[in-house]
Amino acid sequence: MPVPAPSPNPNPVPPDAGMSRRNFLRTSAVVTAGLAALAASLKPLLEMNDFPTMERFLQKYYKEMTPEDMAKVIKRIEAEVEKQYGIRPHVRDLKPMDGVEFVYCLNLTRCIGCRKCVHACVAENNQSRNPEIQYIRVLRLPHGSLDIEKAEHFYAPESVPEKGYFYMPVQCQQCKNPPCVKVCPVHATWQETDGITVIDYDWCIGCRYCEAACPYWARRFNFTKPSIPKERLNPDMAYLGNRPRRQGVMEKCHFCIQRTRVGRYPACLEVCPAGARKFGNILDPNSEVSYILKNKRVFIQLKEEMGTSPRFFYYFDV
Amino acid sequence: MNPQTRTTLVLTGLSAAFLALAVLFLSNLSGRPVPLPPIPLVDTNFLSTATVRRSYADLERAHEDLSDFDCYACHEKGKPPPLRYDTNQNLIVPKEHSDIVMGHGSHGRNNNCFNCHDETNLELLQTRDGRQVKFSDSPLLCGSCHGPTYRDWEAGAHGRISGYWDHSLGAAERKMCVNCHNPHSPHFPSRQPAPGPHPLRPITASVEPAPYH
Repeated sequence: MPVPAPSPNPNPVPPDAGMSRRNFLRTSAVVTAGLAALAASLKPLLEMNDFPTMERFLQKYYKEMTPEDMAKVIKRIEAEVEKQYGIRPHVRDLKPMDGVEFVYCLNLTRCIGCRKCVHACVAENNQSRNPEIQYIRVLRLPHGSLDIEKAEHFYAPESVPEKGYFYMPVQCQQCKNPPCVKVCPVHATWQETDGITVIDYDWCIGCRYCEAACPYWARRFNFTKPSIPKERLNPDMAYLGNRPRRQGVMEKCHFCIQRTRVGRYPACLEVCPAGARKFGNILDPNSEVSYILKNKRVFIQLKEEMGTSPRFFYYFDV
Repeated sequence: MNPQTRTTLVLTGLSAAFLALAVLFLSNLSGRPVPLPPIPLVDTNFLSTATVRRSYADLERAHEDLSDFDCYACHEKGKPPPLRYDTNQNLIVPKEHSDIVMGHGSHGRNNNCFNCHDETNLELLQTRDGRQVKFSDSPLLCGSCHGPTYRDWEAGAHGRISGYWDHSLGAAERKMCVNCHNPHSPHFPSRQPAPGPHPLRPITASVEPAPYH
């Protein structure tokens, strides 16, 4: 049988060459365009300046760290802060004291709504100034009501207190039964034996479940890299407290761990001009807070019906 | 269409698509971050832990000018200064003491200097039952009328405290009545509030919550 003659090929491929000139040019055009698109899509990574170091990436869970591990971590944090702010901080890992359970009492009769506590807290705890992160929100409510959904947050009169209103500062209530701790998928937040609910900023994955779970709107999220002016940085820091946070982690009031765990009063208390804020150890029968809970008209734990059992009490002078 | 042309078309299309993507990513059309509006740093006056007023004890401790308390620089010893009243029984404050506003008590009935000052020795205070009290111990005088408040203050439930809650680690400094209250008009003074919060998205209209069903 005669074999049909092969049709003439306009581009005969030589058997030894893998690719023709045209094929090569065509393929490389596609590959170049693809690479350009890939590079362009990865461009935002260039703006990222906070890649985790191997040390931070391999850091152990707070509760599993040995004292040596912690010493290394603290050294790393001090170096990072010094590199960023040019100030050598003093970072400590403060543990809860034995026989201490903190309670906060706030006198609604005395509070004049001057917001000094808000800004003293920002200065003490190295919160971002822009965008602004504040742990305390002072609510203005008309006399005779307690509907905090209708509270005014942005009041700005010439002078406070205003006639017909009272003021109610709200911050982390340090609940005995904290919903925020229950929802954390990675156990980055937990309650310590002195009653303070803390966050390990190096363990937080930024899922913001705790923010959604908190009925007091006490938790704040770092949507951007926090910005703190060098001259306003507080170098007295604690690991679970006021060390600078990164973008993408939660933070909240921790009763000034760096102060209260060495016996001092929190910053918001010391700055209050009206003496409306009281803090102490509820297990000590001679403390101010014990006296208040025994003798004063303590009227609420905020949103008591939630069953969160806050360690933050509001009371009246009468 | 022969396979050659189809391959060419597909590859050209792919290249064009990739280039378009690259342009899209570089021009960052979809997600350009909104620049943050500047927020001025808060005035450091708002961070001050100083009390509203300074007490005699504070001035004494700081070795400061106590000439305001040197009564016998002007007054004569052993001769109590006379008090003058207008027709409404309001005390006429002499011009030498024009800084004093008589506002203690809401009915204007506390209008006698010697309710608190000792007429026999102007450098002392006196309680209503005749005990003499030094200026540096003034809470004893205040407490002689304001018993429940004095009790709260002693227990730490009224007034300013700073320092250490744990007295084994450091001292707590308790401020006195006159650190916050002007004894002549003790109502706590009003003041300018610190700036309010700056939310990421400015709130324009107040949102009325939906009624409960």
